[in-house]
Amino acid sequence: MTARYLALYLPSLATDRIRRAEPGLPRSLPLATWEPFGNRRVLTAVDSAAADVGLRPGQALADAQAIAPDLLLRPADPAGDARALHALALWARRYTPLTAADPPDGLLLDITGCAHLLGGEAALLRDALVRLRQVGITTRGAVAGAAATGAALARARGDNPVVVSGIEAGVVAPLLLGPALRLPQAMLAELARLGLRRVHDLLGQPRGPLARRFGQDLLGRLDGVVGRRRVSIQPAIPPPDLAAIQDLLEPIITRTGIDAVLDRLLEDLCAGLRQAGLGARQITLTAWRVDGAVQEVAIGTGLAMRDPAHLRRLFAERLERLEPDLGFERMALEARATEPMAVAVQPSLAVGGRRDEAAMAVALAQLLDRLGQRLPVHRVAPVASHWPEHAVTAQDPHDVDPTVPPGWAAQPRPVLLLRRPAPLEVVIPLPDGPPSLLRLQGLAHRLHRVEGPLRLEPEWWRNRPNRFRRDYYQVELASGVRLWVCRTGLPGAPRWLLHGHLP
Amino acid sequence: MPSAAPDVPLDQAAVLAALRARVTRLEGFGRAQHNLGAVPVCEGLPLPGGGLARAAVHEVLATTPGCGAAFCAVLLARTGGTILWIATGRDELMAWPPGLARCGLAPASLVIVRAERWPDALWAMEEALRCPAVTGALLALAPPPGGGKLDLTATRRLQLAAEAGGALGLVLRPDAACADHTAAVTRWRIGSLGAGHGLDDPRWQLELLRVRGGRPGGPWAVTWRAATGRLDLDKEATATGATRHAAG
Repeated sequence: MTARYLALYLPSLATDRIRRAEPGLPRSLPLATWEPFGNRRVLTAVDSAAADVGLRPGQALADAQAIAPDLLLRPADPAGDARALHALALWARRYTPLTAADPPDGLLLDITGCAHLLGGEAALLRDALVRLRQVGITTRGAVAGAAATGAALARARGDNPVVVSGIEAGVVAPLLLGPALRLPQAMLAELARLGLRRVHDLLGQPRGPLARRFGQDLLGRLDGVVGRRRVSIQPAIPPPDLAAIQDLLEPIITRTGIDAVLDRLLEDLCAGLRQAGLGARQITLTAWRVDGAVQEVAIGTGLAMRDPAHLRRLFAERLERLEPDLGFERMALEARATEPMAVAVQPSLAVGGRRDEAAMAVALAQLLDRLGQRLPVHRVAPVASHWPEHAVTAQDPHDVDPTVPPGWAAQPRPVLLLRRPAPLEVVIPLPDGPPSLLRLQGLAHRLHRVEGPLRLEPEWWRNRPNRFRRDYYQVELASGVRLWVCRTGLPGAPRWLLHGHLP
Repeated sequence: MPSAAPDVPLDQAAVLAALRARVTRLEGFGRAQHNLGAVPVCEGLPLPGGGLARAAVHEVLATTPGCGAAFCAVLLARTGGTILWIATGRDELMAWPPGLARCGLAPASLVIVRAERWPDALWAMEEALRCPAVTGALLALAPPPGGGKLDLTATRRLQLAAEAGGALGLVLRPDAACADHTAAVTRWRIGSLGAGHGLDDPRWQLELLRVRGGRPGGPWAVTWRAATGRLDLDKEATATGATRHAAG
């Protein structure tokens, strides 16, 4: 199947965003954004009303205000524009899984094999334009056999053409160089001085001198728009392994409705997974809101799973984060990461005693998934380190790592450790000796018994400054309480810390 | 149809044992599907069933944090499977796996959950107890200002979850004067008696405050020997402690 691309051009995304955010702005007045450029302030984007009175990006702000005294001005927000474009690329995933932002003001969709779902390419293009116009974003579009051709047609022609594959060179030939190739202003002026204004002027020139004078980039763009060089798009999100999609005739708002749609999607997705012999590790629920916003809820599992009941329970917690507002019009469930189902996680395939083990492994994995949705859950991995804070690290609860380094936990050790050692006041009868009395929460305790010291030197290879050696004592209060305390700090000015509780 | 001959002597012991078993079954612990034996605590303690019943929730009041955590770790390690350690509150004290490993609780079988909010902690405990793949779960309450409220309803829910899943449930809480009434099967109090003769063999004072279907007892003095993994009853210290208890 030959590739087909839909290109969308959003000429006034920056100002459309402002009008959407501030619905009170009068439509009739021109609007522009500006930013400081050196010691001048220049316009960066203008809307159609402003363009009509003769304003254009790059103009000085003072000039613009002289031309149009009633001009509305807002500071430019390039980062916000880029985010909005990315969000639109995610929104466009309703048409095809392969969508990409084409900064600064375009979208590219690979609609190969997707157009018939909406009744053809022209209908798809019209649908996209209508939906974007409804949310207040001016858009032009084109469908062509190459991404760059589509982008050039969308920018240079206002009639939203659909062009068959194979005639790219013919269609783009009459287009103006500026919008078609998106060249910098300086290069355009130089080309115009040579009498090169349209694409066919360039096509007639020998390539060598053009490349020498204007660089390889120009030829690259030219080859792109005439379809000589195939450019694949970089999708905003890699396409999912499997997906289930539901279009909703009536927008849904209630949690009950969302749950019902999720149930149906889960059934579909799990049936697909079963057919493919896969289990999902990561599933994302994507919801398209009526006003064009796209929301996502993702879950992950510790084992490859395709049990709808379990997946539904994992989603139950997360669905609260969806904000339906005016309602969702389309929902999709995508398995972003999948794995083949191993026999170990399929109790029905295991034999005899293995069946119990497999069922237990699945039950534990499901429990850890459920707990992990709401709370921090971790297993501990022993580390070969004598420094108490480094003796263990947290690891994923689904990994079981039974290797314990030799000598680990050999010392008499506390069972509870203070996350941050608490300062103590002590009475020491002999310099550098063990304490005889300590003060804890305002009460003085006589020490019944002291064992130590156990001297720990800091780990010099970790390169942490301000670590001092610690002398640990096991002390026992008269009441029977056993504590793990240490002396640290500089030799002249020792500090005493309470670090743990002994059994 | 003649009834059983009246002159056959009744085997009183056997009849009593059968009746006790029936009562135990009716009371709900040790349901038929969980056929693993009770978790042994210490030889010589008079406990119904010879230890802590699985598929039940037990409560441990700790006068000092260290000995309570160590005692729970010993019991959980003896269940021989995956353990969930659920810590509550924004607690500065955290369970330290190297120390727990000396109580027999291997890091490979330990899963640590931290729940800052009390409802989350109860939910996590209930889910853990309900899971058949978990053999033991511990809910460690923070000291009073941060600790949540554990009432009859909450513990009853935990007890039902444990009966469904078959795990040993432990609730570790600081020893407070006014502990609420709970639905736990047993309630223990543990305090520290200081180190014994060996350098790292701590001695604890155990007291069985409540037990369903049995008689409370104690205090007993026990020594935890990490090298052999045993909890030994100190006969002479217990005798003197008991007399002191009786006198006081």
